[in-house]
Amino acid sequence: MKEMTKLLIIDDEEAIRKVLTVSLASDGYDVSAAAGGEEGIALFKKEFPSIVLTDIKMPGMDGIEALKQIKKLNPDAEVIMITGHGDMDSAIEALKLDASDFLNKPIKDEALSVALKRAEERIAIKKKLKEYTDDLENMVRMATEEVKRRSDFQNKLITSSNDAIVATDEEGDIVIYNRGAERIFGYPRVEIIRKMNIDKLYPQAIVSEFRSGLERRGDADLSEWREIAIVAKDGENVPTRFSGSILYGEDEVIGSVGFFQDLREVKRLQEELIKSERLAAAGQTVAGLAHYIKNILNGLKGGTYVLNVALDNNDTGKIKGGWAMIERNVGRISDLVLNLLAYSKERKPEPENCFPNEIVEEVCALIELKARESSIEIQRDLDPLLGKVYMDPNAIHRALLNLVSNAIDACIFDSAPKKQWWVKVATAIKENHTVRFEVADNGMGMDKETREKIFSSPFSTKGERGTGLGLLVTEKIVKENGGTIDVASEQGNGSTFTIYLPFQEAQKLR
Amino acid sequence: MAKKVLNVEDDVDTRTFVSTVLEKNGYTPILAKDGEEGMRKVGEERPDLIILDILMPKQSGIKMYHELKTDASLKDIPVIMLSAVSKRTFLRSQEALTEFGDETVPEPQAYLEKPVEPEDLAEILRKILG
Repeated sequence: MKEMTKLLIIDDEEAIRKVLTVSLASDGYDVSAAAGGEEGIALFKKEFPSIVLTDIKMPGMDGIEALKQIKKLNPDAEVIMITGHGDMDSAIEALKLDASDFLNKPIKDEALSVALKRAEERIAIKKKLKEYTDDLENMVRMATEEVKRRSDFQNKLITSSNDAIVATDEEGDIVIYNRGAERIFGYPRVEIIRKMNIDKLYPQAIVSEFRSGLERRGDADLSEWREIAIVAKDGENVPTRFSGSILYGEDEVIGSVGFFQDLREVKRLQEELIKSERLAAAGQTVAGLAHYIKNILNGLKGGTYVLNVALDNNDTGKIKGGWAMIERNVGRISDLVLNLLAYSKERKPEPENCFPNEIVEEVCALIELKARESSIEIQRDLDPLLGKVYMDPNAIHRALLNLVSNAIDACIFDSAPKKQWWVKVATAIKENHTVRFEVADNGMGMDKETREKIFSSPFSTKGERGTGLGLLVTEKIVKENGGTIDVASEQGNGSTFTIYLPFQEAQKLR
Repeated sequence: MAKKVLNVEDDVDTRTFVSTVLEKNGYTPILAKDGEEGMRKVGEERPDLIILDILMPKQSGIKMYHELKTDASLKDIPVIMLSAVSKRTFLRSQEALTEFGDETVPEPQAYLEKPVEPEDLAEILRKILG
């Protein structure tokens, strides 16, 4: 059932009140009536009618004042003014105060019903309008939430991405810079957003590509993933995988975006893998070392035996011989252990002031006896300009000792009938703060197959006399010290190993 | 007269070791650095016994042993192998050479693996040479 419209009549003439009340109630209105302004306002507050009929001229609070107060209480209330003769000024005043309609006294039924109908229509429209408005507000609110939710989602995607995402406007100024980017580039967001452009942040190689894309100078294709090194705020070189793209609006360039994946962890794992492979190779080597160690033990046993016999006979010459045997084999064991350690362990270079030429002399002195025994001549060609430098002397010593021992063996194992064998050690100071060490021999040389194997696995051509570790260790030491190693060799014509190691100027001692 | 024993061995320490054992037990040591020199000394000195290493530069003990045992005038000289290589590996290497040379060679009189005890070597020498 339709709710009855509430209607309030305010008139000081009792007759009018009664007639209107009866006739409107029979029309289906819920009518209340007041004899004056004050009473009318009180009733209005109580009943909250949607339509008010009020006389203008009344003792006490008149219709205009009542209208004012009603509109204050409910601006949507329909207030119809009942006007008599000479109320024209008041009527205009009432219009200004947003009265809805006017009825002239004596009130005709027809005019009344038209005025009420219009009022009801307005109420209905207002109600609809309000519904629409509420609805619209609701929809706007929902739409806003959806937009916000989506943009939150995108924001979260960007911010929580493990990869660095850097976006710029069309000028190349950075507008998006996520946590991943902070991790890779090292700059905090506050130093970047709208403060830095790609020219400063990106490596030069991709800056020019981005610039030509942003300025539409050429077709920059940044999309293909590639590896590039980023220089972070603290100067660290961060390896990354990079892809980028120029962003277009309708037709014009609106910005750019770059994606960078942090490869530090990947690189670390790769290094870890290499290390564990090397340890596995060292394990294999240990099995192959058995023969080598048996020979050393034999030498030690022999040394003690010779020494004992010599002591019994008081033979000074033999005592010296026995001691030499023990010393030599203890030397071989310590050499083996040092090579094994050097091979299995990560070793950071420990540079200090040293004279590389002196290290060469030390190594040659160690090997001289063995060489003389097999009539191998040791030659030196040392660069006099190579003085005191800042390098790792132990690394140079170990690498050269391994190469010179190999060179001597290459001569001993050479099956050429008559040959004057030699081993030559040379140093030379080169440009870019590099020292070249060269160990050459005219021994047996290597075929291609052997040459390819020497740096890749514990590999020995010397049977039980070799461990297969020497060259692996040498290469590892050279790499750890930032250098390179090369070999040239021909079967029957000897080998030449060349090491290039960087150095720094000798440091002044404080 | 003292019996002559040839030691063919590339490792200088083992040569010193073996020659000391030989002298101490009353034998005359003759030394060679590899198989090539060893064969030459066999011809020159006619030793009563040979102590032979296996892995040596130039000519190996595997080849020298085979040569000794397939030469009618030399095959009766007793040979003691002294090596870090195991006896099994050495015997297999001789079988391999036999397959090509179709002449079967006997096993050596004794096989000693490095490291060797001087007493063991002395005892074997005594057993063979008396």
